[in-house]
This record gives sequence, C-alpha cells and structure tokens, in this order.
Amino acid sequence: MSEARLQSVLHAAPGSGAELLSELGIVLYVGAAVTFVGVIALVLHATFTRRLRASTRAWVVGGGIVFPAITLFLLLNYSIAVGSAVSAIDSGSALRLLLDCFGIDSKARIPPPAPGALRIHVVGKQWWWDVRYEVRRGDTNSIVLANELRVPVDEPVELLLSSSDVIHSFWVPSLAGKVDMIPGRTNRLVIRTSEPGVYRGQCAEYCGGQHALMALYVIAQSRADFETWLERQAQSVEAPQDALLRSGYDAFFKGRCPECHAVRGTPANGVGGPDLTHVGSRHSLAAGTLRNHIGTLAGWIAGPQDIKPGNAMPDSEEYTGRELRALSVWLESLE
Amino acid sequence: MRALSSVVAFAFVACAHEGGYEPVVSGGDAKRGRQAIAELECGACHQIPGVPGAWGRVGPPLAEYRHNVYIAGKHPNVPDVLVRFVRDAPSLAPDTAMPAIEMSDTQARDVAAYLYSLE
Amino acid sequence: MPSFIHKPRRKVVLLAAGALGLVVLGALSASVVLLSGAYSTAATTQHFKITHRLLDAGLRFSVRSHASGVKVPDLAREGMLERGAACYRMHCVQCHGAPGVARHPAGRGMLPIASSLAQSAREWPPEWLYYVTRKGVRMSGMPAWEFRIADEDLWSTVAFLTRLPFMTHQDYLDLHAESADFSCRAPTEMRHDALHGDVKVVFRQYACHACHRIEGIVGPKSRVGPPLVDWPRRKYVAGVLPNTEENLIRFIRDPQGVSPHSLMPKLDVGEVHARQMARYLLASE
Repeated sequence: MSEARLQSVLHAAPGSGAELLSELGIVLYVGAAVTFVGVIALVLHATFTRRLRASTRAWVVGGGIVFPAITLFLLLNYSIAVGSAVSAIDSGSALRLLLDCFGIDSKARIPPPAPGALRIHVVGKQWWWDVRYEVRRGDTNSIVLANELRVPVDEPVELLLSSSDVIHSFWVPSLAGKVDMIPGRTNRLVIRTSEPGVYRGQCAEYCGGQHALMALYVIAQSRADFETWLERQAQSVEAPQDALLRSGYDAFFKGRCPECHAVRGTPANGVGGPDLTHVGSRHSLAAGTLRNHIGTLAGWIAGPQDIKPGNAMPDSEEYTGRELRALSVWLESLE
Repeated sequence: MRALSSVVAFAFVACAHEGGYEPVVSGGDAKRGRQAIAELECGACHQIPGVPGAWGRVGPPLAEYRHNVYIAGKHPNVPDVLVRFVRDAPSLAPDTAMPAIEMSDTQARDVAAYLYSLE
Repeated sequence: MPSFIHKPRRKVVLLAAGALGLVVLGALSASVVLLSGAYSTAATTQHFKITHRLLDAGLRFSVRSHASGVKVPDLAREGMLERGAACYRMHCVQCHGAPGVARHPAGRGMLPIASSLAQSAREWPPEWLYYVTRKGVRMSGMPAWEFRIADEDLWSTVAFLTRLPFMTHQDYLDLHAESADFSCRAPTEMRHDALHGDVKVVFRQYACHACHRIEGIVGPKSRVGPPLVDWPRRKYVAGVLPNTEENLIRFIRDPQGVSPHSLMPKLDVGEVHARQMARYLLASE
C-alpha cells in the first residue's frame, strides 16, 4: 500500500467502516447537489415566467413539507444504519442515544464482547497511545504496547477508547471515522477490514503542543501472522547474554528509564511512559513521529525535547556515546 | 546598521573567495541524498538545512558542511572518509554516539554528496 | 517669512550636497582600493613615513591613556630580576632580541618590527611597559601575556626591562645563566578586572576562535571545529560525553583523554579558565 493511500478518507480500506462512511458521504454530496440544482432551477423559473403554471400551495406543501420530510426521514434512517454498522454508536433506540448524550445510563452503552472477539483498550495520553489487548476477560496487563495496533483481517475488532488526561480523538481515516477519547468515559469503536496492510491514524482533537505529532499505525494481518505476533507480544524479556546487548541493558538500568518505562521480564515496571517490552518490532517511534531504527532510537533517547518539545520524556543527559549506542542496540533487539 | 555591515562584509568576502579544495563524491547525487537523509531521518540527531523536520541537537549542526575541515574532529573532511563515516561512524570514531546506520553504498554516497552541497 | 532665511538656503543645500558627494566619492574610492586588492599587505613593503609616525604616536597616546591607572609595585624585591630574565628568555628575546643578542628569524621579518626593548625601557615608564606586556598590541606581532604569565611575573619582567638599558652583553649573559633556576609562572587565577563581565577574552586568548565560531566573539568564520553556538541545547561534547559543565571542562583541558586522536590540541587551559568557558557556553542562547 503506498503512502498516499495509507491515511486517507478518500481511500477507504475494503470491508471497513470507512467504506460505509464514504458511501454515505457520496449520497449526501450527490443528493445535495441534485436538490440544489433543482431548487435553483425553480427559483429561476419563478423569476422569469410571467404566469404561474401550477398552484403555489401545491409547490409549498409538496416542495417545502412533503419532499424534505421524505428525504430527511430516509437519510436519517440511512445514517443511523451506517452509524450502527460502523459500530461507533450502539444500535438501538434513539431514546437511549439521547439519554446517553446527557450522561444518563451510559453503562448500558458498552455491551459485553462477543465471545472470541478481539478487544483492545486504547488510552490516549499526551502525546502517545497506550494499547492493551484484553486476551482474557479482565486482563489488560499481559499484552501492553504503544502507538500501534495489529489486527487480523476480516474480523471485527472492538476498541475501547478513553483518555487519562485531556480529550483526544482516535482517527484512522482509512478504516473508520473519528471517535473522541474522553477522560472519565469509555467510547467504543469496532473496526474491520478485509485488506491486509498498514493504516496510519492521528489524534483528531487538539490536545496540546504536540497534538500534530500524535499518530499511530494499525496493521492488518492474516490470522496466522496475527497469532504469531500476539504470542510474541505476550512473551517477556530475558537479560541478554551478548556483551554489547548486556552493556545496553545495563545502561537502561543505570539511567532513569525504569522510572517511566516497563520492560516485562526485567525489573523495569514504570508506568508513566510507553511499555518497551517489544519496542524493536514497532513500526514507528514517538507516536508515529520517527521511523524505528537504531539511529532514530538513539536520537530520541538523547534528545526527545528537540523532536517533541514539551513532551514528558526528558533529554537523557547521562549516557556516553558508547552507552547510547549500546542502549539503542538492546532496545532494537526487543522485537 | 549591523545588518548593513554584514551585507557589505559578505559582499567583500564573497567576491574575494576563489579556488581552494572542491570535494566531489563519485557516484553520489545530492538530490537523491536529500531524499535519503529524509528517509533515514538523520534529522533525529542533526540540524540539516533543506531537510524538513531535521531539528536534532544530539550531533553537530550540518550547515555549511562543505567547508568543515574535519569529520568528527579527527579525520580530514574528504569524500572517501565521509562516505564511510555516514554509514559506519563507530569504525572511525569508536566512542561516538552516532551509530552505524544500515544503508546501501549508493545511499551513503548520495548523503555525502548532499552534505557537500551545503555551502 | 523674513528674507534672511531664504537667501542662504541655496548655499546650504549646495554645501550639503557637496559634502555628501565627497563622502560618497570617498566611500567609492575606498571600495575600489579594497576590492581591487591594490593595497599591499606584504610585510616587505614599507609604510609611508607619515603613516608610520601616526601609528606610532597613536600607540603611545593609547598606552598612556590606558595605563594611567596602573600602580607600580616594588620592583626591587628578591628574585624578581631573575624571574624576569627567565620570562624574557622564554617569551621575549625571540622577537625583541637583547644586548648583543640577535632576535630569531621570526622576529626579523615583521612589520611593524618589534622594538629594541633596551630603548623602550629607557624611554617609557614602567606602567607603560607593564601595560603593553600584559595587553599586547593589536595588528602587530605583540601578543597579550596576561593569560600566559602570572601577574607577579609580568612585573618581574618589567623589573628586568627597567634594568635592560643598562646591561652589557656580559651582564645579559650572566643574568641569563642565573635565570636557569627560575621559571616564568603561569597565572593560577583570573584577575578580577580582566573579567569585567567579559569572559570572551578567555576564548580569544586561548585561540579557540581560530578553529571555532563562538557565540558573541568576532573572529574568522572558522570551520575547523564545530560551531560553539546554541550550545546549551546540544547533547554531547565531542560526540562522546554528555554535555555537562564537568564534561566540557574535562574535554577542554584534555581533548585526547576524552576523544583519542582528536585534532583539538591540548592548550594547557587552567581549571578556572576552563570553568569560565564552560559556563559561558552553557549559558549562551
């Protein structure tokens, strides 16, 4: 998939909710255009004819009440159907939706997951995405990653979206519409696609200075590949034997990294920053800001404030050149 | 006044500059090099003119690189050395913070060519 | 309006235009002379006599004015003469020569020629000698010794100089031999008045700006070393150690110890000076 198509509302992934939204969009644009042309034609006709051909009342009632009533009713049903199909909103009564807007009975919004359906919790933070896979009911601590989702193709994947600080918005244009991530609330979005590939998304609600650099990748894979990946993600890390990797590992613990980062299997279990257990296998660093290789990793560790000024990770200021390289090599090896 | 004197000084210097060493990278294309730098994201550590997002301050700024006398303060700034350094800095400066970056020989030449185009 | 305002007005305008024209013409001629390279910078070509006289007089007036606040200490203290002779032997005789002693080839090819200090010391008061020794003379070959020689030994040198006009060749040789047991000491601390809020002079006196472009310092557009500009936000010193005050001092004082084979020379920078430089760089914006 080329870069241009990877994050585009105009290039919805096959079998995704974005496709339905695209169709809805087209219906609206075309319908509105046709209506507009028709109305202008009538206006012109009314301006330039001397005699009225038909009765005014018929036109007013027909064009002003009947026509809009029918078309808007059809559109309403259509868009609710689309919304429901996209699963951004719960299918069900309009009343429940209305009550929900006022925060009443909001617990009813999140139905229990369908058996076997993949459920992922995504929490928006300034300025990254905390991703936890709920592989067993209630367990969101075994598989933790950041800034990336991997999903199997042709299966609905349920995302539970929230935020721990300010309002963010989850938006992967090629897959679905925007869903806000609101602190204190959990919103639900179901995504699916039938085409494997890499899809890029971005935060769509201004959330502070680095809002523009808060992106993520959703990677759709075949079921088999996905299973392999998931198994790997569940594994913890062992202390390395190789001398260079060991010096990188030591550098990690010599510095302040464990205060904020967790690497499962090692003593590091910090919570303020992204989980780094499998950081080497990620598609990007710093929430889609940098490619992921040893050079960008070193640059990010040494100078995050130059890349994303104001973000929560301070410049490291403590690694010699060799230590920085060794640390990058070790982290890159955590695949 | 300061701006004016800078303009005047520049005019004099520019007119007086002639001759001297001209580094040339065989097989390297500066335009491709700029592309390569953007892809490899050298800007994560260096400030590089002409490359958007190159704001890093981990390594030295690469502005006017053509005129740098030395690479990493240890080696004369000549094409053969630069091409090797860009790809495998630790082999030339064992304690450096700059890692060996995977890239093809052509990419290394292109990057060097771009750096030498920075006046 | 009264008529006496109208009549001279034309004259004023003409005069102003004439003056402006002269200025423009002057600037143009100067540019032509500069850009054409017609002015000879060779040290083998003489100055015009009048130019030389003016420069010489200018030097005297400037030294007199700037040395007026200098207090001369007792120059007859024990050991001063011998120390001064040691300093003279190490730093001065190469360009200035001595009674019956030729200056080195380097000192012979200069323009302006380094004076024979036997005469200068005879004609100039000790304050002037101290001032020139300490501060140097710009656009000549005379360096400033303030950062190389401790203040007591600058005065020892002056003590020696005051005796120089009265030495025979043998006197000089005897003193030269006696000075072998003495050294010309380097400064161990910054003079307070040398600072005057101007740490930049430290950089210049270690010739840092010969290789580096430094924030706030006027010098050549050096590209031998990396620019020392926007330094606080840099992450590494020599690409090897984190950019902290202590690491910066370590590198300044021992480049090869931090980065083997570094082409930055060891300049015997005192710890105090190194700290001043490090703080200056880390505070610059």
